[in-house]
Amino acid sequence: MGRGLISLEALGAHGTFRARNRMAVSDVSGTPVAELSLVPRLYVTRSMAAMHRAHTLPLAERIAALTRAARLFTEGVIGGLTFNEYERVVSRVSGVPIGVVREAAAAVADSAKQAGSTAFEARPAGAVGDWRDPLTREGRAVWTRRGDVFAVHAAGNHPGPHGLWLEALALGYRVAVRPSRREPFTPHRLITALRAAGFGEDHVALLPTDHDAADELLRRSDLGMVYGGDEVVRKYAGTNVLPQGPGRSKILITRDRDWRDHLDTIVGSIGDQGGVACINATAVFVEGDPAPVAEAIAERLADLPSLPPEDEKAVLPVQPAESARAIEAFVLGRAAGLRAWLGDEGLVEELGDGSAVLRPAVYQLDRPDAEQAGIEVPFPCVWVAPWSRANGIAPLRGTLVLTAITGDDELVDRLLDEPTISNVYHGDHPTYWIRPGVPHDGYLGEFLMRTKTVIRD
Amino acid sequence: MSFAESPLEVPFGAAIDPEEFLRATMHWHFSPETGSAFWLERAGSLGFDPRTDVRTFDDLTLFPNFADELRQVRIEDVIPRGYGPCPDVVGVYESGGTTGEPKRVVLLRDWLDRLLHWSSAQLDAHGFPRDVNWLVVVPTGPHMVGDVIKAQAVSRGGLPFTVDLDPRWVKRLIADGKAAEAGMYADHIIEQVAYLLESQDIGVLMCTPPVLERIAARDDLARLVNKKVRAINWVGTQMDADTRFLYRSEIFPNAVLYSGYGSTMILGNASERVGLTDDDPCVYDPFSPYMSLSVVDPETGKPVPYGERGQVVMHHVSKAMFLPNNLERDLATRVEPPAGQVGDSVADIAPVAEFKSEKVIEGVY
Repeated sequence: MGRGLISLEALGAHGTFRARNRMAVSDVSGTPVAELSLVPRLYVTRSMAAMHRAHTLPLAERIAALTRAARLFTEGVIGGLTFNEYERVVSRVSGVPIGVVREAAAAVADSAKQAGSTAFEARPAGAVGDWRDPLTREGRAVWTRRGDVFAVHAAGNHPGPHGLWLEALALGYRVAVRPSRREPFTPHRLITALRAAGFGEDHVALLPTDHDAADELLRRSDLGMVYGGDEVVRKYAGTNVLPQGPGRSKILITRDRDWRDHLDTIVGSIGDQGGVACINATAVFVEGDPAPVAEAIAERLADLPSLPPEDEKAVLPVQPAESARAIEAFVLGRAAGLRAWLGDEGLVEELGDGSAVLRPAVYQLDRPDAEQAGIEVPFPCVWVAPWSRANGIAPLRGTLVLTAITGDDELVDRLLDEPTISNVYHGDHPTYWIRPGVPHDGYLGEFLMRTKTVIRD
Repeated sequence: MSFAESPLEVPFGAAIDPEEFLRATMHWHFSPETGSAFWLERAGSLGFDPRTDVRTFDDLTLFPNFADELRQVRIEDVIPRGYGPCPDVVGVYESGGTTGEPKRVVLLRDWLDRLLHWSSAQLDAHGFPRDVNWLVVVPTGPHMVGDVIKAQAVSRGGLPFTVDLDPRWVKRLIADGKAAEAGMYADHIIEQVAYLLESQDIGVLMCTPPVLERIAARDDLARLVNKKVRAINWVGTQMDADTRFLYRSEIFPNAVLYSGYGSTMILGNASERVGLTDDDPCVYDPFSPYMSLSVVDPETGKPVPYGERGQVVMHHVSKAMFLPNNLERDLATRVEPPAGQVGDSVADIAPVAEFKSEKVIEGVY
C-alpha cells in the first residue's frame, strides 16, 4: 500500500474513540493493513444511552443528509482514503473481486440516495406517513416506528448488505452498527459520510467490539438485526432481533424449458458476485437428467482465471490460504462419493503470497432432498440435483431467492405461497437480481414499523 | 526507643530486613512453644527444618502447596500457640469458593492492624479522602474483604455502609446458564446501592467492575456518584485500560479511581501502584515482605520473564499466619517490583480458564 496502517476508530455517540485495545485487520495474504479500535462494553452502554436520549431529525433533513452522504461516500477522502483506495482495500481484505466491490459500493451509495423513497415502499396502502395528513380527520392508519434505536451486527462478506440499514435511518431510527471485524471499512466510511452529511454522532454510530460486548448493542437497542448462520436464526427468530440467515438461493428448471437457453442466467447466478453473496445460487434443480446441465455449468466455470482480488480481471474470491484450505476440506468432505463435474482435483489455487483463490465446484446429487443441496459456501459452489413433480416443493424450501424457469404458473403459485421462500423470480432472471425498492427478505420496514389508528378534529 | 524486639513486631511503617524477618517468622511458626498445631504436625514430613533451612524468600518454594488442606483443617489448629489461650481473633474467613470447597483462614487482630495501617497509607497516597463514609459493595459473611473494609472505613474516620454480595450464588447461576437470574441478582444489588447513594453521605464507593458498570449505566446513580463520591475502589475482577480511561475522563472525572488485588490466601490485598498513566496496565504491588507474589509458568513452576504472562503464586508470611506457595486461580503479567520489595509485582489479572478441572467463572464478583 506504500502507507502506514489505516486507523479505524470507533465512532461513538460522544465522538471518535481510538481504543487501547486494537486489532489488526489483515489482507488476504496476512499483511496487516489497518488497526480497528475495539471498544469495551461500558463504551457501548454509554453510546446506546446517548442514542436513546437523542432526537431524530425531521424527515426532509434525513433524506437530504442521506443524499449528501451518498456523494461524500463516493467522492470524499475519508480516513485518508479516496473512494478508489477504499474499494481496493476492501477487495484486498475481503478477497472479493475488485469489480464486485465497485458494483456493491456503488449500490450502497445508490441505496443512500434512494432510501428516502425505498424505505417507504413498505408502508401499507391503508396507512399515511404523518398524523397531520388530512386523511386522519376521518380516522386513518398512521405508519409509525416500533422503537427509536436500531442495532446491527453487520456482515463482512460483501459491502452490499450495508445498503439495507440505511432504510432504518430514513425511517427515523438512530442506528448503531457493530462492524464485522473482517471488513469494517465499508460501515466506517459510510457512517463517517453520514455524519459529515448531517446526522449527529448520537444518530448513527460504529461500535466495533469483541464478542463479550456485542450483546450489549442488542440489549440496549429497541430492535436489532444480526447476520449469521442457522444458529443465529434459531436464536433470534420471533424476537426483537431480525436474523439475516443463510441465503441458500436456488434455481429450478422444469421440463418444458430448454436449459441451454438459460445457461447464462444459471452460470451467472452461481458465479456472479464471486459467489460470496446470499443471492448466489447454491443449488440447481433440474426436472429430468441433471448431468448435462451440471456438465455445461462446469464447462463454463472451469475457465474462470485465478487472480488476486484487486486484479481488474478477477472474478473469483480469494482468502488467506489457511482458511481457503479449511473451506476446501469441508466441501470435499461433504462431497465425498458424489459425482464432481468440477472440483474433484481440489478447490484451492494458491497465489504464492499467502493467499489462495477458491475455484468453482460443481457436484451432482442423486436426490433433490440430499442435504448437500443446502450447503452454502463463499465461492461458486453448486449442487445440481434431479427434481420431479412427485418431489413437490419440499426440496425448494428455505430459500432467499428462487429462480423458477418454468411455464407452469400453478407451480409458481405454490412457490409464492411457501413461507420459507423469500423471493420468486419467474423465468430468465438470475438469483442475484436486486434493485432498490424491492424487498430483499421482506421490506425492512415490515419489521421496523407498525400502524396506529389516528382520528382527530 | 527501646524496641529491641523480634522483627515480627516492628512498629508499623518501620524499616524491616526481609530475610531477618523471614527467619524470625520460621522460628515462630516451627517452634513447639509458638507454632500452630497445623505446622507443627507437618514439620516432620517436610524433609527440612524451616528454622535453619529457610534463609531467603526463594527458599519458600521448598514447601509443598498446603493450601488444599485448609479446606478440611480444624480451624483452631491454624492459630499459632504463641498467641496464648485467648488469641484476639477478628474472624474466620473463607476463600471465594470459585474452585470448589473453600479454604479457611483466621484473621488475628495484630495482623489486621498492621494491614490497615499499610493499606490506609496506600489510600492516602492515591488521594483518598479521610473522614468520609464508605459504601462497600463486596462480599461479607465468610469473605474477609467485607469485614476488613468496614474496619478500614472506621479507622479512617468514616462509617461503613454495606450491600451484601454472594459471589458463590452468582457463579452457580452463571454455571447453570441462568443469565436472566444472574441479571435479576445484579438488579437486586443495584437497587440496594441506590437506596444508600440517595439517602446517605457517601464519600468512597467500593465495588466490583460489573457493579460499577451498572451504576454508570443508570443516569440517576451516575449523577449521585458524581455529586457525592470522591474516590472509587474497585476490586474483584479486572478492568481494561479503555474502561478505566472512560471512567476517569468522562463518567466519574472527579473521583479518584483505585484498585486493589486481594486474596484470602495473603490475608489482604496488593495495591495499585501510584502514578500509572492511562495507558499503563493496572500494576499491583504487595505489602512486602508480608505478602509476596511470583508469576510462574504453570507447566514448569519457574518464573516467567518480566512482561510475560504466567500464573500467580502467593506467599503470606506474618506472625499471625504462614501460608507459603499457594498457586492462585489468576493469570497475570509479571512486572518488575519497586526497590526493596520482595517478589514480583503483577498486572492484568485474569482468571485461569480451567483450574483443577472445575471451570472458573467470572460474574458480578
